[in-house]
Amino acid sequence: MAHIVFDNVTLQYPIYNSKNMSLRNQLARIGTGGTLSQESSDIVAVTALNQVNFELRDGDAIGLVGHNGAGKTTLLRAMAGIYKPIAGKVSIEGSTSTIIDLGAGMDPELSGYENILRMGLMLGSSRQQMDARTEDIERFTELGDFLKVPVRTYSSGMVMRLMFAVATSVQPEILLIDEMFSTGDAEFQKKARSRMADLIDAAKIFVFASHDPELIRQFCKRVFRLEHGNLSEIAMTWF
Amino acid sequence: MFSYAISDLRRTLAMLPVAFYFARSDLKARYQRSVLGPLWLVFGTAIGVTGLGLLWSVLLHSNRAQFIPSLTVGLVVWQFISGTVTESSRTFINNWLLIRNLSIPFGFYPTQLIMRQLVNFAHNALVILVVLLIYPPPLGLAQLLVLPGLLLVVGNLWWVALVLGMMGARFRDLEPLIGAFMPLLFFLSPVIYRPDQLGIKSVLAWVNPFSYLITVVRDPVQGVVPAAFVYAGALGMLAGGWLFALWLLQGRHKRIAFWV
Repeated sequence: MAHIVFDNVTLQYPIYNSKNMSLRNQLARIGTGGTLSQESSDIVAVTALNQVNFELRDGDAIGLVGHNGAGKTTLLRAMAGIYKPIAGKVSIEGSTSTIIDLGAGMDPELSGYENILRMGLMLGSSRQQMDARTEDIERFTELGDFLKVPVRTYSSGMVMRLMFAVATSVQPEILLIDEMFSTGDAEFQKKARSRMADLIDAAKIFVFASHDPELIRQFCKRVFRLEHGNLSEIAMTWF
Repeated sequence: MFSYAISDLRRTLAMLPVAFYFARSDLKARYQRSVLGPLWLVFGTAIGVTGLGLLWSVLLHSNRAQFIPSLTVGLVVWQFISGTVTESSRTFINNWLLIRNLSIPFGFYPTQLIMRQLVNFAHNALVILVVLLIYPPPLGLAQLLVLPGLLLVVGNLWWVALVLGMMGARFRDLEPLIGAFMPLLFFLSPVIYRPDQLGIKSVLAWVNPFSYLITVVRDPVQGVVPAAFVYAGALGMLAGGWLFALWLLQGRHKRIAFWV
């Protein structure tokens, strides 16, 4: 069973060595919508999540909305256990996949096949598991013999196909996705969507940060809104 | 006490094979289109040893058969030490993409660095082997101490990489600072000379922590059993250093993702 509980979670994001603090303070306040406070003389802290409470269980599919800098990505990272709160308690049960920035572990000098293994190992899979998935990744990326040559020679669309295929080759219990559907050419987008839909269907908990109301209505059952680090739930009917 | 730090290191140990695979794969990527590949490491060290050996044995009026093997082992161990220390301040910074996106134990990144340096060391060890064939040392039981000596070096550099990695991520001045001091430390460390050559002033050499790490490997290779105080020093650093590293990781691990 997958389970995520946020109990009064406050997360501050320190910005180190910032000079011209007052100016920065003001600009950041206007530009990002985060609440800034002074942690010490040279460290500015952004309160990215402010006393957030919720509980997610099997079957929950959450759409996360809010304008740029509202804390959506930070919340996803906190759900994955990457960012740790300064107050409150986060508990996570279940295997987790984050699709935020792709390509962790990739080295452009190495071949596509070697990078499949590198990225897969970083996602926590074993060598045998990755060997078993390679065929599926070959088929999905349609890169053919390009997988044998260094990734450096790929176009950016090809790199995206490879990264996306590896990131979505693992079926997690908890799936956390940051706005991700707009990659590659039209045909690939269609394939990417259907692969993502399969992954979402099989995941027990799904959280999706997006600015696209259509996608949220399609995949999600509940909607959370983040505003200045404060979280509130909006009824699906109102969304 | 240290509950997070210990579980982090336990998960790190489970990832040792992955760290080793990445070390080899990184090396391959680095020498991808070169003809000699990683043999450049061996070649570079061989040239250094030949040049420095011939020059300094004349300058220092040393007996080549004694000086060159001592210099070779010293130089190769020094490269291991300085390579690790120099790169350590960027261990976490360079892996920001992984740190910000995946929940991998923090110990993994310094471990990957140590593995990469160990692979380099294994290449350079070929030069030691050749030099020892030309100038064979007296073989004896002392050589059995080479392996424990190496383990002491690796164990110490491991915590150094973890600590400097964390500090380097927080304080960006650390990297240029280390870069500025390493060349000087090369001359202050007993690579070219041996601590006993300083005579009564050899105390000065033992103030330098690197002296212990070089000696626990070099002396056994040359058939000499290192003094007990050298082992005491190296073990003391190992225990003290790891305690400090655990304390730092326990207290500051929540911050690393924000530092990088």
